[in-house]
Amino acid sequence: MASADKPINTDVPEKDVFALHFLQSLSNLRRQNTFNSPEKTNDRVKKIKKAAYVSMARAAGGTNRLWSRALLRRAAKENNKVVRLPRRKKRVTCLRRRRSNRRDPVEEEEAERLRNLVPGGGGMETSKLMEETAHYIKCLSMQVKVMQCLVDGLAPK
Amino acid sequence: MMMTMMMNGGEATEAELFLNCDDMSVLERQRVQLNYHQYHHPGFEPTLPCFFPNSSKMNVGEVDSFLPSAGLDLPEIYGELHGDARISVSPGNITTESENSKKRKFGCVDTETKVCNEKKKMMMMMDREVAVEEEEEEEKSKVTEQSTRSIMKMKEQNSCSNDSSKVTKDSQRTDYIHVRARRGQATDSHSIAERARREKISERMKFLQDLVPGCEKITGKAGMLDEIINYVQSLQRQVEFLSMKLATVSPRVDFNIDDIFAKEVVSAPMMNLPNTVMPPHMMVNSGYPHDMVNSGYVHFNPMQQVVTSSDPLSCFNNGQSATMWDSDVQNLYSNLGV
Repeated sequence: MASADKPINTDVPEKDVFALHFLQSLSNLRRQNTFNSPEKTNDRVKKIKKAAYVSMARAAGGTNRLWSRALLRRAAKENNKVVRLPRRKKRVTCLRRRRSNRRDPVEEEEAERLRNLVPGGGGMETSKLMEETAHYIKCLSMQVKVMQCLVDGLAPK
Repeated sequence: MMMTMMMNGGEATEAELFLNCDDMSVLERQRVQLNYHQYHHPGFEPTLPCFFPNSSKMNVGEVDSFLPSAGLDLPEIYGELHGDARISVSPGNITTESENSKKRKFGCVDTETKVCNEKKKMMMMMDREVAVEEEEEEEKSKVTEQSTRSIMKMKEQNSCSNDSSKVTKDSQRTDYIHVRARRGQATDSHSIAERARREKISERMKFLQDLVPGCEKITGKAGMLDEIINYVQSLQRQVEFLSMKLATVSPRVDFNIDDIFAKEVVSAPMMNLPNTVMPPHMMVNSGYPHDMVNSGYVHFNPMQQVVTSSDPLSCFNNGQSATMWDSDVQNLYSNLGV
């Protein structure tokens, strides 16, 4: 009940924070690449994409958000690293909810789709999902802007 | 709200206290005295809580109003008592809402004991004075008296608990559940919870609506959700596309950050935008030492320039970010270039 009164907070850090994190992860990539043999573009695309997401998650409050936690966890899993994120307060989420007839089935379906899109959305209740989605959208658009700038800057004149 | 709840709690505990007090030997005399008073003035019983003034101001008010109106046989003693009671009680009862409950309770306990002592003294005196005359009558009426008293007590207690429970229920309802059932709406707890949940969701939806462009025109939750999903998907696709571009645009560079910055140092002067920081080409050209060029400060400048130039609508504040970069982020940036 106490969480109901919490105001919706979707503040996102400044754009240069995103830029910084992204550049840092790119430089990390480069450092890794010096040891590896030259790779295919496909692999590089994947790596850059991952770097983009991870840096975005880091820039946007690290483990404070559910979606960023999920992203970081996923990235750590892909690296086969056992990374222990700081424990969050245990939340009792009822995953097997009672589906009442009153709920709009179309709405539920859409919410389910959104749940698949937002990282870590599987275990969220709908109102939390909305909040996380708002934050996620803000961060994504920020990241897109940063990447766009970088691409524009790199583009051959 | 808290005040009323506390009062209710006080009354509830008072009732218990009252019950317990019957067994206590300390208040035994008081009880006898009570008997006596009730015998003389049947109106005394309702104001019984005044013996335990930890509940509220109201009770003290009752005492104040009661005593003059009671028309007692011993007005001078009562006047004294009244005065004493008021003096001793006042520190505890001038409590306002700002004081916390614990403090208040302690104060009240103190005053309570004080009052009890005062009362006891008075009662002793009165005992000596009146007991002789009233003894026979008291003896006679004691049995019936006690029975009626217990009944009244029970009644009082019942009403007390009823009142308190009612009011606390009300307060809880108004405190926690903001969804009110309108006409024709179900009022069982499940429906109320469901309605609260839906209200919460729609509130967040409204929040999301402002974020997603083109979502204002759409009415209906399903359509809105659809739009939000599309937007998220498009953003994710954009990230993928841009990372592809980044990977293909300059394979030679291979994310050599130094190279990127070198490139941008060249390209930055072409876009002359108002920048509070000294333009990087000037720094490079004006004979800065080479290690300075490699340091974070110069690295940052072209980046910032590029970011601002290619996205003029961004909320970049050059002056502000310059100070920020200078302080914390510069270290990170200097670590960037190997």
